[in-house]
Amino acid sequence: MATVAEHTEALGPPRSETGWIGWARFNLFGSWGSSIVTIVSIPVALWACWAGLSWLFTTADWTLVTSRPQQYLIGVYPTEHAWRPLVGWLMTSVLFGLAGGMWRGAAERIAIGYGAIPLVVGLLPYGMMHEGVNMPLDIRLLVLGNLPVLAVSYWLGKTERGEWPRRLLAAALAVYAMCLLVLAGLSMVGLADPFSESTWVGWVLNLVLSASAVAVSFPIALPLARKVGRPRSIVIGGLLAYFLTLFLLAGLPGLMEPVSPRVWGGLMLNLILSVSGIVLAFPIGVALALGRRSNLPVVKLLCVVFIEVFRGVPLITLLFVSQVLVPLALPENFPVDSVTRAAIVITLFSSAYMAENIRGGLQGLPPGQAEAARALGLPGWQVTVLILLPQAIRNVIPAIVGQFIALFKDTSLVYIVGMLDILEIGRAIVQGNPEFIDNGRELYIFVAVIFWLITYTMSYASRSLERHLGVGER
Amino acid sequence: MGATMTQSLTKSLTYQGIPVWRHARILGWTAQIVSAIIVIAAVAFFIYNLTSAMEDRDIPRGWSFLSREYSTPISESVLPYEESDSFAYAFLVAATNTLSLSLVGVVFATALGIFIGSAQLAGNWILSRAAVVYVEFFRNVPLIVQLFFWYILILGLPPVREGFVWFDAIFLSNSGLSFPWLKGQETVWIWAICAVVAIAAAIVVNLFAARRELRTGRSSYPLALASVTAVVIGAIAWFAVGDAPLVIDVPEPQGRFGHTAGGAKQSSELVALFIGLVIYTSSFIAEIVRAGLQSVSKGQGEASRSLGLNTLETLRYVTFPQALRVIVPPLISQYLNLTKNSSLAIAIGYADLTSVAKTMTQTAPAVSIFLIIMAVYLLYSLGYSLVGNIYNRHIQFRGG
Repeated sequence: MATVAEHTEALGPPRSETGWIGWARFNLFGSWGSSIVTIVSIPVALWACWAGLSWLFTTADWTLVTSRPQQYLIGVYPTEHAWRPLVGWLMTSVLFGLAGGMWRGAAERIAIGYGAIPLVVGLLPYGMMHEGVNMPLDIRLLVLGNLPVLAVSYWLGKTERGEWPRRLLAAALAVYAMCLLVLAGLSMVGLADPFSESTWVGWVLNLVLSASAVAVSFPIALPLARKVGRPRSIVIGGLLAYFLTLFLLAGLPGLMEPVSPRVWGGLMLNLILSVSGIVLAFPIGVALALGRRSNLPVVKLLCVVFIEVFRGVPLITLLFVSQVLVPLALPENFPVDSVTRAAIVITLFSSAYMAENIRGGLQGLPPGQAEAARALGLPGWQVTVLILLPQAIRNVIPAIVGQFIALFKDTSLVYIVGMLDILEIGRAIVQGNPEFIDNGRELYIFVAVIFWLITYTMSYASRSLERHLGVGER
Repeated sequence: MGATMTQSLTKSLTYQGIPVWRHARILGWTAQIVSAIIVIAAVAFFIYNLTSAMEDRDIPRGWSFLSREYSTPISESVLPYEESDSFAYAFLVAATNTLSLSLVGVVFATALGIFIGSAQLAGNWILSRAAVVYVEFFRNVPLIVQLFFWYILILGLPPVREGFVWFDAIFLSNSGLSFPWLKGQETVWIWAICAVVAIAAAIVVNLFAARRELRTGRSSYPLALASVTAVVIGAIAWFAVGDAPLVIDVPEPQGRFGHTAGGAKQSSELVALFIGLVIYTSSFIAEIVRAGLQSVSKGQGEASRSLGLNTLETLRYVTFPQALRVIVPPLISQYLNLTKNSSLAIAIGYADLTSVAKTMTQTAPAVSIFLIIMAVYLLYSLGYSLVGNIYNRHIQFRGG
C-alpha cells in the first residue's frame, strides 16, 4: 500500500525559476535570439547611459535655462503684473490639491509630483548661484506659495463632510475680502505699487497680495468643498479658474490695467491656448457632431464640409490663413489682434477633431438607448441632451484627453504668428545672447522634457480615469 | 381591415392639427433654411470685405498670376526647377516635394513602426523596455521641438571630408546626406519600356500560376515564376540595349569646404525633416501595431504553434493578417498626419508646399494661393484615404 507521508511540504519551484535568476532566465535569456539581444544590448545600453549622463552633468551648460525661469514660465509678460498669471497658477494648485485629496490613487500621485514644480522653479535657479537671475523675490514667493496652497487644498479635499471646512472657508473669505479692501484703498491713495521691493510698504503689500492670492482660490474651493468627491465639482472649479485666469491676464480697462495678449508667452501661453482649444471647442464640437448626425441634409452638409476642411489641412496652413487672410476678410479696424485670431483658429481646428470624437461616442451607443428614451415620451432634444450626450461624452473622455495632448503639442506652432511660447522664447534667448549660441541642444532637450512631463502625466491620468470610468467594460 | 389601416395611416400623416411651431418637418426645414442663410450671409460678408480690402490696397486678384514667372528660387526640388518657370509650375514643384517626402517617409515610418511595435511585445525585457521608452518619448514631445533638435544636430556635424563616411559612398555631414543613386543613360527610356513589359508579363504569369495552383491543388510557385519572368525579360532587354542603361552614380567630395558631386544629395534641412517625421510618426505607428497585435486573441498564436508553425510563420500567416484588420484604419490616418506634419518644413527652411506658398503670398493673391494649397492637401488626404480604404476592404473578413 502506498504510504502517505505526513507533514510533507510541497516542493517549491526550482531555484532557477524564481527570484531574479528565474526572472532573468525568462526575460533576458528566454531563447537564443533573446540571449543574443541581451548580450549585445547590455553594453550598448550601459554606454548610452554613461554617455548621456556625462553629457548631462559635465558637458551641457544649463545656464540658459536656470538663469531665466520667469521667461520660460510667462514669457515677456510685464514683471509688474506677473502676479496675475501666478494667481492663476495658485488656482490651478487648488484644483490639483483638491483632486488629489478627493480621489486618491493616481490623482494623489499626480498632485504630489505636481508639487515638485513650484519647488524646482522657486528654488533651483537660486541654488545654482547665477549672476543676475531675473526673477524677483516676490515672484519667487508667489511661486513657492503654490506649495502651502497645494497642501491646504489637498487636506481640504481629503476631509469628509463636516463643520470645520466651512468655518475655514468663511475665515479665508473674510481674510480675502479684507486684503482686497486694503489693496483697493491703497491703490486709490496711489500707494499701491505692490511690486516695488525697495520700500517696506511694498513688502507688506507683497505679503498681503500673496495672502490674497492664496485666498482668491478659495471661492473656487467653495463649490468643490460642498460636493466633495464628485467629479463635477472639479470640472466646475476648473472652468471657473480658467475664466478667472483669462480675466486676470487680460485685465479690464478702468479696473485693472489691460495687458495685450501679444506679450503673453512662455509655458503659460501653451497651456492657455491648449485649454482654450479644448474648453471653447467643446460646445462647438458637440454642435458639429450633432449636426453631422442630423437628418437635415443642409445642416449635415455644412457640418461635414467644416469638419473635413479643418481636419484635412495642416494647422500651420490655417495659422497662415488667420494671419494673412482673416484680417482682410474682417471689417477694417475690427478689434482682434493676431493672438486672438490664432486662438480662434486653434479652437476651430480643435472643434473639428472634437466633433469627430463625440460623433464616435454617439455612434458607439446602442440604439436601444434612444429608442427607450423615446418610448418613455421624451422629446427629441431631451433624448439627445439627457440620454445620449452624457453617455457618449463619458465614453470619449480618454479620446478627448488624447486630443488635448495633441493640441498641447501643436500649440508650439504659434511661433508662426510671432508669439513667444516656451519654445520660441527659448530660441529668442539663444539667438539674442551670444554666450548661449552653442546651447541649442540644451534648450531643445529642456523644452522636450517639459512637454514630455506634462503630456505623459496627462496620458497617465487618462489611463487611470479610463479604468475608473470602466470604459470598454460596459 | 387593410383599407382602414391605410386610411388611418394617411390621415395621421396628413394630420393638420399639429401647430406649425411643433411640426417636425416644418421645424426641420426652417432650421435648414435659417442655417443656410446664416452661413451664406457670413461667407458673403467675408468675401465682400475681402474684395473691398483688396481693391483698397491694390492687391491683385484672380488666377492670372499662375502663368506669370515666379522668379524666386526654390532651394531644392524633386522636379527640375528654374526661376524663369511659372507660378503654376512652382506649385507643382512644391507639391511634388511634399508628396515625395510624404511617400518615402510613410514607407520608412511604417517599417520602423512595425519593428518598434513588435519589439514592445518581445520576450526580451531590455528590447521591450527600450521600445516602450522610444514610443513614450517621441510620441509625447512636439514634432517641431524634435525637428529643431535634429536640425542643429546635423548642422553641428563636421564638413564633408571629416563627417561620417560609410563605404566611401555615403556622406553625412553638415551639408546634408549624399548617397549613391542610379543614373539613367541615354538608352534608359527603351529599357524602361521593356521593364514595364517585363512587370506586366510577370503579373500575367503570376495570375496564371496562382489559378493553376487553385485548380489543381499542386504547388505552382506563382511568385517564383513571376520573378523569374521579370528578371529574364529585364536582363535580355538590358543586354539588347547595348550599354548599361542605368549606372550607379557614387558621390565624391569636392573642394575643401564640403560639397559632394554626383549621386543623390539631400540637404541638411530635408534630412532633419525626414528623420524627425519618420521617428515621430513611427512612434504612433508602433502603438497602433502593438494594439493590433494584442487584439488578436492569444489562442490564435497558441493554436498555430501547436499545429507546428514556427514563430515567424505564426506571425506571418496567423497573427499579422488578423492584426492588420485593426491596424489599417488608424494607420491611414497616421499617413495623413505625416503628410500634414511635413508642413513643419517651414520651421527649418525646406521648400515644401506650405513654405513655398507662404513665400508666394508676397507677390501673388493670398486667397487663390490658400485655396490651391488647401485643395492640394485635401487631394492628398483623399488619395491616401482612397488607397487605404481599398486595401482595408481587401483585408477585412469577407462573407461566404
